[in-house]
Amino acid sequence: MHSHVSHPTPASVPAIRKCTLHGYEPLAEVCRFFTEYAAVMLGCGATCQRIEKNLRRMAKAENLVVDMLILPAHVRVTVGPAAEKECAELTLPVRKMAINYNYNTLLSKLSWKVAEGRVKLRHAPAVMERILAEPPFNKWKVMAGVVVANASFCRLFGGDWIATCFVVLATLAGYSLKNVMVGRKADPKVMFICCAFVAAIIGASAYYIAPAHTPDVALGTSVLFLIPGIPYINSVSDMMAGHYLCAFSRFMNALILTACIALGLTAAFLIMNIQIF
Amino acid sequence: MEILDLILGIVQDGLFAALAAIGFAAISNPPRIALKWCGVIAAAGHITRYCLVNYTPVGIVPASMVGALAVGLLAIIIAKRVKCPPETFSFPALLPMIPGIYAYRTVQAFVLALTAHTEQEFQHFFYLSESNCLTCVFVILCMVIGQMLPIIAFKRVAYTVTRPDEKER
Repeated sequence: MHSHVSHPTPASVPAIRKCTLHGYEPLAEVCRFFTEYAAVMLGCGATCQRIEKNLRRMAKAENLVVDMLILPAHVRVTVGPAAEKECAELTLPVRKMAINYNYNTLLSKLSWKVAEGRVKLRHAPAVMERILAEPPFNKWKVMAGVVVANASFCRLFGGDWIATCFVVLATLAGYSLKNVMVGRKADPKVMFICCAFVAAIIGASAYYIAPAHTPDVALGTSVLFLIPGIPYINSVSDMMAGHYLCAFSRFMNALILTACIALGLTAAFLIMNIQIF
Repeated sequence: MEILDLILGIVQDGLFAALAAIGFAAISNPPRIALKWCGVIAAAGHITRYCLVNYTPVGIVPASMVGALAVGLLAIIIAKRVKCPPETFSFPALLPMIPGIYAYRTVQAFVLALTAHTEQEFQHFFYLSESNCLTCVFVILCMVIGQMLPIIAFKRVAYTVTRPDEKER
């Protein structure tokens, strides 16, 4: 979507159609970096407002103005000198990656370094590549964290220790399957259906093995580790900042994944013949 | 004894919320220093909601908003110290407050409504699905709005926290 700005932007310059990347090499380099920066920030879960502010900060340091158009799967950045009519624009797909607040933090810090002249704009792409080369958390440690987190959820919702054990097993199985399917580059929707199904089957077995130990909480909590909570929060956050199109696209992505979880859960209900009301 | 139970309930709630926040935060790869703060903020927010729901007549929806407001305020304060964007703490810290069990009951009641054999049965399950869905949606909305308010109120702080200070320069 078009960002809302109070100062003149390249988008309002009439000569915008004449400008091409080929005819404006140095500006093209800047535009490529800004677009890649925005695509990575969107991919790693930054809010639209933060991306916009970071880009403006860097552009202002070089006496440039920048405008950003965010589409559901792409981002377009237009950049040009503040006092001239020429500008460059580039559209790139949003980088497909897991949510990563470490990248978000480090890239925000990079924007300040560029704004304060401690990193030259021409060196910024190399710095960004170094940031993106930083390894994520160890997947086994993340799995341990998710298992403990889901077990804590079970306790928060009033589950007893037996129900918590079922949740631990369900999360271990579901998250392991998720890791395997991510490794095999499975479609996210199929992956969510399968993981929810496996986790819910184990959670539902509490009804048969330990019916007196809050089996409803065990089943309800077993799939919660899959809920895309941060995309939902990001979506409402973008909506409140007036980035409705991005908010809607993030909401729809999260909703589709939630529907996949519901599908896996439903299949487990039907197979295990669960009725608790 | 009652006081002891009350304190134990609050401590348990805070502890499990902190564990849940740290575990789920790990999925979103925050800077390592941010993890413990996610736990602290989540505990504070969840305890606020727990106390309001259990010891006052406030319902879960406004209580979630107040809890999220506490999360947002603490995130701004800590973001300034740790030099990370406030959403690095506040978004994972909100996760334990997401009403997952309501979402689950919505789906479950919906499935049961679809497989109902009589009109009365269908209406009962459909009502349960609607009621859980409404609660779930409004809790999430209020949570996010509550968490966003401090970021909007302290916009300048929220968007300059990653600026390196004199020592880092």
